[in-house]
Amino acid sequence: METAVMQASDPTEPHTSSTVDQSVAGLRLHALEMGALVIEQVACAVKSLVDHDTALAQAVLARESRVDAYEKQLDRDSLTFIALQQPVANDLRLARAIVRIGRELERAGDEAKKIARFALSLDQAKDGDPVLAVGRQLRHMAALSGSMLRSAVRAADEMDLALARHVLERDAELDAEFAAALRLVMSYVLQDHRFLRPTIDTIFALKGLERIGDHATNIAEQVLYMMGQDEVSANRPAISQ
Amino acid sequence: MAAVMTIEELRAGLAWRKNLDKLFVLVGLLVLMSCLGLLALLFLDLVRDGAERFGWDFLTQFPSRKAERAGILSAWVGTSMIMLVTALVALPVGVAAAIYLEEYAPKNALTGIIEINVTNLAGVPSIVYGLLALGLFVYKFGFGQSVLSAGLTLALLILPIIIVGTREALRAVPKAIREAAYGLGATRWEVTKDHVLPYSTGGILTGLILGLSRAIGETAPIITIGALSFIAFLPGSPITGEFPFLNFEWLKSEFTAMPIQIFNWVSRPDQAFQQNAAAAAAILLGMTLAMNAVAIWIRYRFRKKINW
Amino acid sequence: MNTNVAHKAETPTLAIAMEERRLLRANQAKAVADRLDFWYGTNQALKNINLVIPENQVTALIGPSGCGKSTFLRCFNRMHDLQADTRYAGSIMLHPENVNLVGKDVDPIEVRMRIGMVFQKPNPFPKTVFENVAYGLRLRGFSNRTELAERVEKALRGAAIWDEVKDRLTDSALALSGGQMQRLCIARALATEPEILLFDEPTSALDPIATAKIEELITELRSRVTILIVTHNMQQAARVSDFTAFMYLGELVEVDATSKIFTNPSKKATEDYITGRYG
Repeated sequence: METAVMQASDPTEPHTSSTVDQSVAGLRLHALEMGALVIEQVACAVKSLVDHDTALAQAVLARESRVDAYEKQLDRDSLTFIALQQPVANDLRLARAIVRIGRELERAGDEAKKIARFALSLDQAKDGDPVLAVGRQLRHMAALSGSMLRSAVRAADEMDLALARHVLERDAELDAEFAAALRLVMSYVLQDHRFLRPTIDTIFALKGLERIGDHATNIAEQVLYMMGQDEVSANRPAISQ
Repeated sequence: MAAVMTIEELRAGLAWRKNLDKLFVLVGLLVLMSCLGLLALLFLDLVRDGAERFGWDFLTQFPSRKAERAGILSAWVGTSMIMLVTALVALPVGVAAAIYLEEYAPKNALTGIIEINVTNLAGVPSIVYGLLALGLFVYKFGFGQSVLSAGLTLALLILPIIIVGTREALRAVPKAIREAAYGLGATRWEVTKDHVLPYSTGGILTGLILGLSRAIGETAPIITIGALSFIAFLPGSPITGEFPFLNFEWLKSEFTAMPIQIFNWVSRPDQAFQQNAAAAAAILLGMTLAMNAVAIWIRYRFRKKINW
Repeated sequence: MNTNVAHKAETPTLAIAMEERRLLRANQAKAVADRLDFWYGTNQALKNINLVIPENQVTALIGPSGCGKSTFLRCFNRMHDLQADTRYAGSIMLHPENVNLVGKDVDPIEVRMRIGMVFQKPNPFPKTVFENVAYGLRLRGFSNRTELAERVEKALRGAAIWDEVKDRLTDSALALSGGQMQRLCIARALATEPEILLFDEPTSALDPIATAKIEELITELRSRVTILIVTHNMQQAARVSDFTAFMYLGELVEVDATSKIFTNPSKKATEDYITGRYG
């Protein structure tokens, strides 16, 4: 069966209607702003965990409501755009993709919030610190998922297909990192059962970071969807002659 | 489910219907050709009969007791002057009446009565116009048996034609144009003057010329008001050499016209005069056809310039 | 039956007053229809219309055929006065001078000089492009050639058609394409700087590209003139307007910000109509 090769379309080209241009620009801008905020949240949350910085953790928790507000605004604006301007094709895909990206970012923000909470609880416990032990893995995973998130957001903003595909590829790397860190943490538990409680929390933190990477992957998938290059659209068979 | 009829039945019926179609076209053409043919025959007959008389002399000589020396100068000059007066009177009055009826008149009983009367006037026998003119123009107003009276009479005669023709032309202006003009704040007169009239000009002129081509051949009314059949003089020229360059003496002059001259010559037993009559009739027919051709040409030109 | 029309026009209803105040906080009101009724002969085509038209905004009128939206639109420039046997009751007050546009003592010609209209089928005069735009100005007494040229250019620029016709000002307007003719008609209406510009289904006779250009033009024009548009194409109302009013059988059912009407209208009748569950 033949597969049609679709041209990658650019939803950012201007329209006859300036209202549509403004709506699209507004959606993309807010998505970018939200992405920047969530990236910052993730970075701060991890830093607060690794450096035992409670003030920073509190700041992350305080900013969480702004992330939610952005998500609601993106949802509302996209609905209004669809209702009023009846977008089709690449404009419609953009509207839907932006909403989904907002959702993924909001969940990533939630994970950051959980990490920040963990940072606070850990500090209070002042137990023997498995975080220190897996500090290197934590920092590495944080760097990896943070970088994936940044790349995904940038790919969405610049409509960069290659960058989006690169993010999708790095998912496997992240999974491997997570597995390695998990093994390491489990070995500490086996050594000393007093490490159990903080270890469980550490595992959750690692899992959170892994999930942030997943959200970044989903965002990258939405970039492919926006450009019409996701699996479903791109592999449409041509009509046989 | 079976079809209503087979393909063969369909085709057979179709052939019959198409033949009827062609038959109608044939009959129509036949009728048309017969009428045109008769007209052409008449024209050719006239031309043949009067062939000897055609020439510059015929056009520039006055009538005379000698057939060979008789000409139609006074006749065609008279006809032309009468047509001029007719046009100058009928056009403004007719157009104004049509504008009133079409644009201004409210849709009530009075307007209905006026409209009915206008269309009825077109059917009044022309001799009645002649009698009216005799009483009114010739005696009551004292214009006498003159070009002016004749012109006014014929103007009255063709007034209904002008009014109806103008109304048709006014109606042809699309409502959208009027709406656009009103929408900009134009008064009714401004809409009429700036938009409706300019675009109906073609239709109005056509109506005028058709009216004149009817009037040119009217004999009864102008006989009644006293057209002479033997005048060896021309009414005075309207243009003079001195201020105000326009002379209205010709209006009061006695006159003759083409139909009168033709009638007069045909009544004589002399064969030579019959030839004169034939020649004059051919010329009169030619003038009428020429006027109609001009009307068609005007309509064509105006239609090309403006397309709705 | 309305008897004391003059008295009613002076005291707007409470609902109108509140609506006016609300909009006046956000936008100025340019015109307010108050208890407006309209009859063709004995047939009442408009019933108790109360509507605020905000200044420098686009207000759209939508509704099924025969709902009275065009009838209501044509009350604003007294086009109904061109037909016999029509009657208004109530008022449409034009701000800021508080003139009742449908008042018996108000001259319809004056109303039409202040309120412009663009019609459904483009109807330029069979004159040159220049003369089309200049006609409204000539009616007002402008005759100076330079001044006319300036104003005509300004109007043509305002209608986003100057570049396309600047070398063809003396050509016949009928040589333009449909979309260009409609923009020329918009320029013609703009030339006299109307206070409200009425659009009666302006793009229903045009192709999609011409339609898009005119919709974009309408969005631009709103900063200069208050716009009231009737359209049977709901999606156009959604794209182009700031406020939408839904009418049905001569009555005003609902009016609100367009984004609210098309995402979550208050009345079921409105929602049924715009989702295509009507009839």
